[in-house]
Amino acid sequence: MIEFHHVFKSYGRGRNILADINFRIEPGEFILVSGPSGAGKSTLLKLIGGLEPASRGAVHVNGHRIDRLPRRALPYLRRAVGVILQDSHLLFDRSAMDNVLLPLAVMGLAPRVARTRARAALEKVGLLGMEQLNPIEMSGGEQQRLAIARAIVNRPAILIADEPTANLDHDSGQRIMTVFRDFNQVGVTLLIASHDHSLMAPYATRTLHIEAGRFTDIRGVPS
Amino acid sequence: MRRWLRQHHYALTVALRRLRTQPFSTLSNLVVISLSLTVPILAASVLQAVQPIVRHIPVSPEITLYLAPQADLKDAQQVATQLTANRDPVIQSVQIVAREQALARLQQESAWAEALAALESNPLPHAVIVTLHESPEVAREAAILAEQWRSLKAVDTVQLDSEWMRRLGAILDFLGVGLGLLAASVALVVLATVFNTVRMQALSQREEIAIARLVGATEPFVRRPFLYLGGLTGIVSSLAAIGLAQLALLPLNHALARLASTWDAQLILALPDTASLGAGLVLVTMLAALAARWSVTRNTRF
Repeated sequence: MIEFHHVFKSYGRGRNILADINFRIEPGEFILVSGPSGAGKSTLLKLIGGLEPASRGAVHVNGHRIDRLPRRALPYLRRAVGVILQDSHLLFDRSAMDNVLLPLAVMGLAPRVARTRARAALEKVGLLGMEQLNPIEMSGGEQQRLAIARAIVNRPAILIADEPTANLDHDSGQRIMTVFRDFNQVGVTLLIASHDHSLMAPYATRTLHIEAGRFTDIRGVPS
Repeated sequence: MRRWLRQHHYALTVALRRLRTQPFSTLSNLVVISLSLTVPILAASVLQAVQPIVRHIPVSPEITLYLAPQADLKDAQQVATQLTANRDPVIQSVQIVAREQALARLQQESAWAEALAALESNPLPHAVIVTLHESPEVAREAAILAEQWRSLKAVDTVQLDSEWMRRLGAILDFLGVGLGLLAASVALVVLATVFNTVRMQALSQREEIAIARLVGATEPFVRRPFLYLGGLTGIVSSLAAIGLAQLALLPLNHALARLASTWDAQLILALPDTASLGAGLVLVTMLAALAARWSVTRNTRF
């Protein structure tokens, strides 16, 4: 469950990136956060992932009010939230396998168990057989799928993705959306920020439209 | 516990990989730290070799009263009785050295034996050696007593034996302080080098750190490889420094042996004992890990 209560976000004394945001997302929903560039979509996702603090208001994720969590507790929350950013943020000096193993190393999993889980994650995104390749040798779509494999390898309850299909051709974008749909079908809550409404809308159960830091439209029925 | 050990194993692997991927930088850091550490090890070796020699020479203040050549042993006993009769609290002991005894001692020293053999009679006088209690005022008191005893009957010369040894002792103390300052300077070199290495590493690994945090890495998890990097640098540099010092002692000992042989003496420089070297290694490793922690904490606030 994700819940925002009168959340504001600004940097310094600048304008509000997010202003008085209120919403609630139930487990297992597939949410599309749409809106033009600079509307505040990425900031919204960063608040959910605990990557940035809210300036005001309450952010609840998985039963924790994360704006009140001590700094040292935040990493444990992040493990329950898989994050995929627009720039895939991969380690280009490591193999695909090493990239996917990183969250499991963070958790201190036994190497044999970790490898099995990493292979399963790579299989889910269709990259099994490419685990020894360096991300630099992969296409943009493959890199994005690798980022998804890394985000889901520790089985998070929530998956948030910021413009995951940006810079990808239509087929690659569709393939990634199919991967997301598969995760959603096994109960993972999904929040995807994108301005490509036509590609995302068929998959989402709800759409939150944001403009200039405020929700202007909430479509769909909570599942 | 296993999870914790696995995370440490991972941190060690990452640290080794980072060292391996920048061989030139790693090597130059190790060389700088090793050479810096070699200097105090060699200085400690020299100080260690010199100290026992000084320790065997009396450093407590002594005054030697040489009697006139015609004075006999009875006169020496009379002088000794006179000195002890006053029960001066400064005096620790009074000892008579008969001229025969003094000659026998000198004959034991090879440098003198030959010269003494050429003499027909014993040229040495009887002597009375007075040892004084150590005190801050002893030098002044010794000078006053020496002045008084010069006027004693049968006394020819009064000599303050301990003065030069006190100077040597002071020089050794000075060298000890110098060694301490040298060690402190080297500690600063270790601190600065490791701090800067870790700073550069942290900046070049910015992306990796950000990704690790993104997937839920705790701050200790992020810092740990850098601590290992610092610790490993400390261990390897210390071991290399010990090796370098050992190598440097070979030509030094060779040269020293030739120098000492001219005095018919033996002087060998050796590394400090294993316990001291081990303690030094642990200290340097801890210092390097501490510098790494300080640096990584300061340079990963993003």
